Amino acid sequence: MISTQFDYVRAQTLDEALTLLSQNEDAKILAGGHSLIPAMKLRLAMPSLLIDIGRIKDLSYVREEGDQVLIGAMTSHYQIESSELLKQICPLLPECAGHIGDVQVRNKGTIGGSLAHSDPAGDWPAAVIALNAELVVAGKSGDRTISVDDFFMDLMTTALEPGEILREIRINKSTRRTGQAYVKMHHPASGFAVVGVAANLTLNEKGACQTASIGITGVSAKAYRATAVESALAGSVFSEQSTANAASHAADGVDINGDLFASEVYRRHLAQVFTRRAITLASSRVG
Amino acid sequence: MSLISRTSPASKLRQGLQAGSSPLLNWFMKIEGTQKLHAPRERVYSALTDPAILQRCIPGCESLEKTAENTYAATLKAGVGSIKGSFKGEVRLEDMRPPDHYRIVVEGKGGVGFAKGSADFDLEGTGGATLITYAGELQIGGTIAAVGQRMIEAAAKMMASRFFAALEAEVSVDLDTNAP
Repeated sequence: MISTQFDYVRAQTLDEALTLLSQNEDAKILAGGHSLIPAMKLRLAMPSLLIDIGRIKDLSYVREEGDQVLIGAMTSHYQIESSELLKQICPLLPECAGHIGDVQVRNKGTIGGSLAHSDPAGDWPAAVIALNAELVVAGKSGDRTISVDDFFMDLMTTALEPGEILREIRINKSTRRTGQAYVKMHHPASGFAVVGVAANLTLNEKGACQTASIGITGVSAKAYRATAVESALAGSVFSEQSTANAASHAADGVDINGDLFASEVYRRHLAQVFTRRAITLASSRVG
Repeated sequence: MSLISRTSPASKLRQGLQAGSSPLLNWFMKIEGTQKLHAPRERVYSALTDPAILQRCIPGCESLEKTAENTYAATLKAGVGSIKGSFKGEVRLEDMRPPDHYRIVVEGKGGVGFAKGSADFDLEGTGGATLITYAGELQIGGTIAAVGQRMIEAAAKMMASRFFAALEAEVSVDLDTNAP
């Protein structure tokens, strides 16, 4: 199908994009266009104006600043997947990027677009939850920073206000004795996560779990932090038994979605299995 | 809390096939749950059957106009995130037994698909509050069912919780203004 008619502006600066956004209630921000454009072609989305921020150069970067890594919102999945810096200091991000869609999607799709769209089966939300990211959002009255735990609100609904644009993702560099992993069951047709689990673990000097941070996507209306798994892991020594026990809490208190492919019961089971795998893999990588 | 689940029996899929379309294009969803509102049963019943209040509570409902006794024409602009659709349809209230029970029958269609279904509402007084038990089935078809299937359930849950949150606000505001 062909989309309905719309106007298109290629913004040169973020300020220009913010101004256009504030002047047009029905406008949408175009990032990589790998969710919005298909929706428009099916006429599920019919914005009157597309504001393309994909060519704004200073929105695409990966750089270190103090103890943090800063990632521009328009950094493509491929740039993250192939970043030598990230492989060193935050390997969860390149690993997660490698699981997204296919090469074409990874070349064009962006981390900021994915987070702002907040697809319930998107991969990035699980990863940024596990990494305890901060999201920097630009608005007409300046920037504000949102903790990832306050960002995902409901199905494709985030804490972004209508006139705001996500500009940067900030993540603390991984320290010593940290292990990270992202494991996923790919939907065989779409490649989306039926279940995706990101684990970010830190051990203390005695080898017990000091902090555990687990993000899960695909299971519910939005990605979530598996707090029951995290508290079961904290202080424990990793073993097959303790890992399985913690992972059994993967979907505690979560309103699980079912669809034609995976029922509620099956998804709960998958969440537990993939959480166990993520913890096992992450703990084996602690170095 | 609302609980919305699918119906999986093969008979439902066959119904879809007999209707001349792919089962993937027809999605049957069971809608059931309970919701407690902090207002007396008579008040909740009249709110649930008041078109002006329903129009304010149903997410995206732009108009709800009476066309016959207990029958209303509705226009809806519903959506989540960038996905939005306009729907036109009919809402009918049946089997009305104030303040215990009624059934709502909806049928609507728009550019992205159609929806039809019905749900029974049973109201039970518990002290000053009301426990609503609802159960029904919704059929969704067209583009939205074919390509958005994995999200329909989450979207329906989101709409239901927004509806009841708005309804709670409506009935409790009314109580406050009547307070001595």
